[in-house]
Amino acid sequence: MPQLNPEFFVSQLFWLAVFFTFLFVFLWRVSLPRIATVLEKRQNKIDENLSSAKELQEQAMEIEKKINDQINKAKLETDEKIKETINSLQEDVSSQLSSLDKDLEKKVSDAEKEILKSKDDQMKNINNEIANITKLTVGKITDIELSDNELNKVIETHKGNFN
Amino acid sequence: MAAKDSPLKQFEIDPISNIELGGYNISFTNSSFAMLITVLVITLFLTLTVNTRSIIPSRMQLISELMYNFIAQLLSDTVGDNGKRYFPFVFSLFMFVLIGNMVGMIPYQFTFTSHIIVTFALAAVVFIGVTILGFINHGIKFFTFFYIPGVPFYMHPLLIPIEVISYLSRPISLSVRLFANMLAGHTLLKVFAGFVVSMPFFTGVFPLAFIVALTGLEILIAFLQAYVFAILTCLYINDAYHLH
Repeated sequence: MPQLNPEFFVSQLFWLAVFFTFLFVFLWRVSLPRIATVLEKRQNKIDENLSSAKELQEQAMEIEKKINDQINKAKLETDEKIKETINSLQEDVSSQLSSLDKDLEKKVSDAEKEILKSKDDQMKNINNEIANITKLTVGKITDIELSDNELNKVIETHKGNFN
Repeated sequence: MAAKDSPLKQFEIDPISNIELGGYNISFTNSSFAMLITVLVITLFLTLTVNTRSIIPSRMQLISELMYNFIAQLLSDTVGDNGKRYFPFVFSLFMFVLIGNMVGMIPYQFTFTSHIIVTFALAAVVFIGVTILGFINHGIKFFTFFYIPGVPFYMHPLLIPIEVISYLSRPISLSVRLFANMLAGHTLLKVFAGFVVSMPFFTGVFPLAFIVALTGLEILIAFLQAYVFAILTCLYINDAYHLH
């Protein structure tokens, strides 16, 4: 078995020491620090991105809150305005209605007065007409000329029968 | 079977250039060449793939990072925070064994992890290092490592020698495990390769199919043994910090 032949033991140990020491020192000083920096750099980048993502999320949440606040505020304001408008409209309507009522009442009372006045006038005229008609009728039938005073006297006595 | 066709012939060491230093033969051999290839592959791969240091990694860079994270995770799982300072060593050990095994899977290429002297040297470095670490951390109290609490007192004369022996056999089990796995796998491949040639007619395709399957298994074992070597090293480091 060649493994147990001590002829090349020293040679193998020597070159093993040389190559393994070189490998160890090279990896320790050059290769591994390089890989470590790459891994560290990546981890830093990931952490950075994560923290900035978190920050942005917080900002977004803040903005959302603000928007909601404003929406609520706007809703309240519009509600208020609608109420105010309804109230003022109702007031307007009621005041206009009352003024209309007053106008109407006034007009009705005016009209009543006018009616009464015209009735009175008519009544007066009726007396005159009656007198004239009576005068004419009596004149045609009897040739008696009635004086106005006599006629008026008669009419006044029978006035109650006209109404 | 003639000696030149022996399945063990692949483990023979051939000097590429003869060098002698202070009376010792330190010839550059095919084993040294395999180590050189291994070290070159590891250093070039880990350096070139991470050269751009991009935050979004290329596929090759991702492989380097996965290996890094694999061993880092292994160390933090077994040893905890104390393990970070041993990371370069454990990582070097893992990569050296892993790529050494993989380089050995290339046909006609020498497998240096199939030599007990190499694996034993690596295991001895781990064992001596861990023992020194234990004495640094706990001083003379490190010997209480062999004392198992909660056992009837009359058992201790039996248990303490067992614990000492099991501790001292750690480098042996660690090195023999890797060495034997590599030796057995490569020998088996070679034996079946011999069948492919020597069997009559077309029946040679059966051992050939077996070799294909076995090659897949060997690649799995190459990874598994490197992993076992690394995780046992981690456990031993953990023992140096936490006594029973």
